[in-house]
Parts: sequence; structure tokens; C-alpha cells
Amino acid sequence: MRFVVEYTKEERVKYISHLDLMRSMQRTIRRAELPIAWSRGYHPHPVMAFASALPVGMTSEGEYMDIHLLEGMDIPELEKRLNRALPKGITVKQAVAVDEKVPSLMSLVERADYRIVPEDPEWDWKPAVDVFWSKPEIWVEKKSKKKVSSINLKEAVRDIRACGEHNRELFLSLPAGSSGNLKPDLVVDALLEGKDRALSFCRTGLYLRKDGKWVTPLALGKQEGGIG
Amino acid sequence: MLDRKLLDRVLGQVSRPVRYMGNEYNMVEKDPEDVSIRFAFAFPDVYEVGMSHLGMKILYHLMNEREDTYCERVFAPWVDMEEKMRENRIPLFTLETRDPVSKFDFVGFTLQYEMCYTNLLNMLDLAGIPLLAKDRTQQDPFVIAGGPCAYNAEPLADFLDLVAMGEGEQQIGELLDLYGEWKKKDGDRESFLRQAAAIPGVYVPQFYDVTYRDDGQVESVNPNTAAAPDRIAKRIVRDLDSTYYPDRMIVPFMDIVHDRIVLELFRGCSRGCRFCQAGMIYRPVRERSMDKLLELADKLVKNTGYEEISLSSLSTSDYSRLEDLVKQLMERFRDKRISLSLPSLRLDSFSRDFIEEIQKVRKTGLTFAPEAGTQRLRDVINKGVTEDDLVRSVTDAFVSGWNTVKLYFMIGLPTETEEDLQGIAGLARLVTDCYYGLEREKRQKGLRITVSTSSFVPKPFTPFQWEPQNTMEELREKQGFLRKALRMKHVEYNWHDPELSFLEAVFARGDRRLGAVLLSAWKNGARFDSWADQFHMEGWMDAFRQNHLDPGFYAYRKRERDEVLPWDHIDVGVSKAFLWKEKEKAGRGERTPDCRVSCAGCGIRGTWEGIC
Repeated sequence: MRFVVEYTKEERVKYISHLDLMRSMQRTIRRAELPIAWSRGYHPHPVMAFASALPVGMTSEGEYMDIHLLEGMDIPELEKRLNRALPKGITVKQAVAVDEKVPSLMSLVERADYRIVPEDPEWDWKPAVDVFWSKPEIWVEKKSKKKVSSINLKEAVRDIRACGEHNRELFLSLPAGSSGNLKPDLVVDALLEGKDRALSFCRTGLYLRKDGKWVTPLALGKQEGGIG
Repeated sequence: MLDRKLLDRVLGQVSRPVRYMGNEYNMVEKDPEDVSIRFAFAFPDVYEVGMSHLGMKILYHLMNEREDTYCERVFAPWVDMEEKMRENRIPLFTLETRDPVSKFDFVGFTLQYEMCYTNLLNMLDLAGIPLLAKDRTQQDPFVIAGGPCAYNAEPLADFLDLVAMGEGEQQIGELLDLYGEWKKKDGDRESFLRQAAAIPGVYVPQFYDVTYRDDGQVESVNPNTAAAPDRIAKRIVRDLDSTYYPDRMIVPFMDIVHDRIVLELFRGCSRGCRFCQAGMIYRPVRERSMDKLLELADKLVKNTGYEEISLSSLSTSDYSRLEDLVKQLMERFRDKRISLSLPSLRLDSFSRDFIEEIQKVRKTGLTFAPEAGTQRLRDVINKGVTEDDLVRSVTDAFVSGWNTVKLYFMIGLPTETEEDLQGIAGLARLVTDCYYGLEREKRQKGLRITVSTSSFVPKPFTPFQWEPQNTMEELREKQGFLRKALRMKHVEYNWHDPELSFLEAVFARGDRRLGAVLLSAWKNGARFDSWADQFHMEGWMDAFRQNHLDPGFYAYRKRERDEVLPWDHIDVGVSKAFLWKEKEKAGRGERTPDCRVSCAGCGIRGTWEGIC
């Protein structure tokens, strides 16, 4: 039985890396005593997969992982067991049963949204956002492990808005997943034009496209028809 | 109060911020308002090293069982974090509440190795606590230390208010009880120290005067107050089954050095290797029962979610029911895919069946520690292992599918000659021969032998405490010799930095005058000295010069029988007379049998009647 689990990563655990998180989830699943499917090899671990790695220092309101159980389980029971076994600061919001044939989350996710809030209570994002929209193109350097490439943010960014009270919050919607990934700090650096600011980053959700609409991976759930 | 936003900004700028985050599964959370005693358990190295330490796990959960106490953790911030903390005036803080360490009642350091001493000074400084015990006032915490290096804490005497000798499980409770009473009455610092000195095993360095002879040797160590005993005897727990052991352990997010459940099988060691301090100071041998271990294993697996259990002790194969225990653990946790690791296995106690049993769970490299290259020298150090044992064990291991073998040796041991060094290479060749002696289909491809040599450091409370260390030049020559001698197929050779071994020898057998050297070295920038990329010898040599002390006096000098040793006022239960007798037997190449075969009269029986 395959399940997609939606969970948060809160302030108090925001400095754990993706590897740390994976290890922690494996141990959580052991503590939760779920009838988990095991990987093969000398160091068997629970079979699980994650939609997307969250950068160190970032909180999230919507992360997703895939787990495989050897037998069926009541969704509320699964959620309850996981939440009891999780470290404080990581909370399961919802789980859905998913058809085995659905492709991996990583290959389906295409968009990530972020909320960026400065420490400065007086800060207003609007001027910087207006400048962004007024420019015909904004080229920045994108560094990956292997190479440095140039990218036009005006084409890559899906949406960018100042919002919240007095425009203190920045909403960013960026491409994500194996089809192309853009890190939010790259966009923020361009907006601030190199000025250093104390900011907190939160990923508010991950999305995939289904029937022409943006939906969260929970929409892959069987009761909602699923895809694939 | 710490500026949490500032701290958050700083954490965004340092490597591995998770080291300073806390909030791990099983971290103890209490409201500091609800307790009367706050204890900062300090490990003078980085998080991933400190969190691997069993003593900390035990004492952290033990202290937190008390309603009146909140024990929190603090580790040495790595150099990038230290820089940011100093730049932003962030004081040393605990992981649990992020409160400054300076407002705690106690700061307790565990001293696992000599080369962490400058980190202790650095942490006190970052906390804003006066470095010298004599400069501390009513508002400052009491600084206490324990752990193996605390048995000769003389080089740190100026910086410590209290030293706890031996196993802390009972003692720490007595100390906290006393402190709770004292705090209610609001007594002064000195009155607390006086009362604490009456608790067995508690050493208050400032209550002792040390005098020196003209030649630099210690002349006498005497209490300067009636409150302090002439000698301080270490504490032990008699019965491990009834002694507290945590049934939950913090599960770090970060990948730490030993990231697994630790089951402590027993304390002490009956082997009597003459170079080994642990083998002497942790006597006598006391086992935990198999039932108790299985019960603990069940709870720890349930409460941590760990995928591996490590069986821990000084010599795991000496546990009386090891094979039985391993079988039962494997049966119990097979479905949960939990693996076992068995460090400290001795090569003379392997059986083919047993090797195969372990191999079912894990196929890591095999480690053997003959320690010396010839039978003569192995007899000198009382390491009861023969060439035949090695041949039998590695052959069995190769047949069972292993192809990687690690061999550990020590160089610079008393009486060592070129023949003994040649013997190290000889044993490496012998292992190769054992491998090729097997038919091709009986062995795995890809033989790898790693030979590692550490350099002998004479330690207090061992039969070799009177012996000189080899000079750094001698050690380098010996390493050079081995580099050539070990140039053979499949063999890789690793060695230790002689400069570090030299400083270890200085501080292991140091006296109080070295406190000034530590302070100078720290001011010269020394910290994280056990990390090769942070270690700078010049700063240390300069510190010795500044204080007109010759490090060779401590490391290279042969002590005479009647010399007063700086740690003679500490009683570890093993008598000085026994140690001297062992030293003489070493000189004659005579072995002393394992205590389980016959009692060697080390003195432990006199101290704790009926214990072994």
C-alpha cells in the first residue's frame, strides 16, 4: 500500500538538512511501528521517497513524502501513529492512499511557492517588486554543482507579489522539481540588488499539474481519482 | 537574555547550524522556572563528537529524572561559530533553552582526552565565566569536571571548582542534594565547597597545597583545610543492574560519530594490559545481567527508532554470555532489521560459529589489536595475544567472507627495538599469507589490510606511569622505518602525529604548573587541538617558553620509585605498589594472568570487599 503524506517543517527544526530529515523520518517510521516495506541490501531501510529537498534554514507548510506499507492501514490511524513518533516541529497534516502506478512525486512536482518575511517590521516589498515587473529582462547567474549558467528571471519566475499588511511579505512562485528548479534566494538577491537583509523563508506548498489545474500531491489520492 | 533573532541570523551564516539547534527527539523539555538547580553539561568538543559519548547520555537523563534539576547540553562551538559569537557578543548557550551558560548553577565538563583542555578554557571564556576558580564570585556557576582525565586533573586545577572522581551515578545525586540545601540557606561559595569536599570522591583542588623541589618534582600535596580528606577515593557503583540506565536516548538529527543505541555490557576490564589506563581506572569488572540488557534493548529500540545496537565495553568478547546475548538480540530484532555492532572484540576469543553469526547482520571490516609486533614485547605489555591467535582468527574471517582487516599497533613502547617494529611488518605479511594460503574459491576478492600505529603515551595509574615517552624524533624515525617496511601489496599504513602524542604525554602526567601553559596556549589561539587542521604546535611551544617550563620534563623523564607523583593523592583503588610490581614484571617480560584466572592483588578487593 502506497501513501502520500503531507507534513510541515517548523521553526524549531528548520536547520536540519534533507539527509538529516530522511534519517529522521526512517527512525520515526520505526518508532511508529508501521508495517513498512524494506529496501534490500546490507543496510535495509524503510522504502520512502520525498517530493523535493527543502534547503537548510527554511521552514515549510507543505512537504510531501511517499511511503510503502506491506498492508493497508486506516488513514487516521496512520496519521496518529506518525504524529506520535515525530520529533516536535515536524507535523503530519494529512495522508492519502495512492495507486502504486502513480509516478514518483519528484517527477510530478513542477511548482513551489514561498513566503519571505523580513525581520525589519517597517519593510515594504512593493518598490522592489514594481522594479522587477518594469524591467524587460533580468539575467542572473545560476550555480549548480557542475556549471554556472545564466537565467532570465522574468521568464523563469511564475509569480511574484508583495502582500500582507503594509506589503511586508513577499510571495514567490517558482519552478521546482526534476523539470527545472529555481531557488528563492536567487530571486530575492536580485530584488534586493545585493543588499543584505535578515529574512525568513517559508515554503508554503508544492504543486503539480492535474487536468490543467495546479494541485498539491494530495490530489493524487485514490478517492480523488488519481492519475497515472 | 539572549537575542534570539540575532542568534537565528548567525545560525544562517555558519556551517552545520544543526549543531546548535537542539530540539532532537527525546530532548528533555522543562520550564526553568520549575526547577531550583540548572546544570549545563558541557562537552569540550563539537556536537557530533560529544553526542556520541555514553557518559553524557546516562548523566543527562539521570539528572533530568530529578524534579528539582534541569540538565541541559552545551558543546564547543566550531571555529566559524565561535567567530560569529564573539563578533555579535552572543554568550555560550545551552541547546535546550538557549539560555546563557553563565546563569546556570553548575557547568559540568567531561574530560575524555587531554587535547580538549583548551576547548574547556575557550568555552568558559565564551560563557563569560572567569577562567580561574579563584576569580569566581557568588553569581558564577560552579565549574565541575569528571571523566577519565579527571583522575589527574592537576593541569586544570586552577580552572575547576570541583572534580568528581569515578562513576557519577550516585555521587551526582549527593552533590545536587547538597547544593539544593545550600542554595536555600544562601551560603557562600566556600561553604558549599567545604561541604562538597566531604562527599566521597569529590575533589576540590583549591583545598590542596602543592610544593615542588628545586629539580621541579612534586615534593608534597597536602590539604590546607580540615574539610578536605588526605586522599580522594574514586566512586563506583556496585551493581549495574540496579544502577540507573536510560531507557531513552536523544536521537540527533545530525549524523554523529556513533549514531546508534549503546548497550553497556560491563565496566572494568580483567586483562591487565600494562599501557592501558582504562583497564586500571575502571576496575573492578562488573557485568550487567543478560535479562537487564535485553529489557533495556527492547525499550531503547521502541523509544529511539534506531536501526543499530552497539554492544559497548572495554573488551566485549569478555562478557560472560556474549554468544548467548548476541543470538537473543538477533532473534528478537530480526524482523525490525536492526543490526548489531560489536566494537572491542579481541582476536583470541573468536570462534568460527560466532564470526558467522555476526556476519549475518553486518559485513564491516574486522579489527584486531595485537598492539606489538613480537611475542616478547606483547609479554612486556601483558597483551595476551599470540601469533597463532591472529592466524586462526583471520583465516576464519577470510573463510567467512571478510576481505578487509585492520591491525592496530603501538610504537614507542618500553623496551621496544627494531626487531619489534620489523615484527609489525611481519604480522602484516602473515595476514597476507593466511589469505593467499586459502584456495581461491574459499576467499573473497580484494584483500585490504590497514596497519595503524599510535604512539605510546605513558598514563597515570598504569604500570608504565614511571616510563619515559619516546622523543618526537624517535617516533618519526620509527614511523619512517615502518613506512618502508610496510610497502607491500594490499597494505596501507597510517600513523599518528608525534607532536600531538607528545603534548598528550605532557598533560596526562602533568602537575598544576601546567595550568599557566594551558592559559598561554589558549591565548596563543589553541583550540580543537585534536583536529589536525586546527592544531598548531608553535603556539604550544611558545606557551611552554613563556612560562619557563620544559615539556620534556613531563614527557621524556623516567620517574623513580620514590618520586611523589602529582596524582598520588587520588585513589583509584589499584595500589601504587601493585603498579610498581607490574612495571618490574614488564621489565622481566613476565606475564600476569587475567584476573578471572587468578587474582593479581591489584588492591581493588581491599577497597571494595566481595566485589570481584
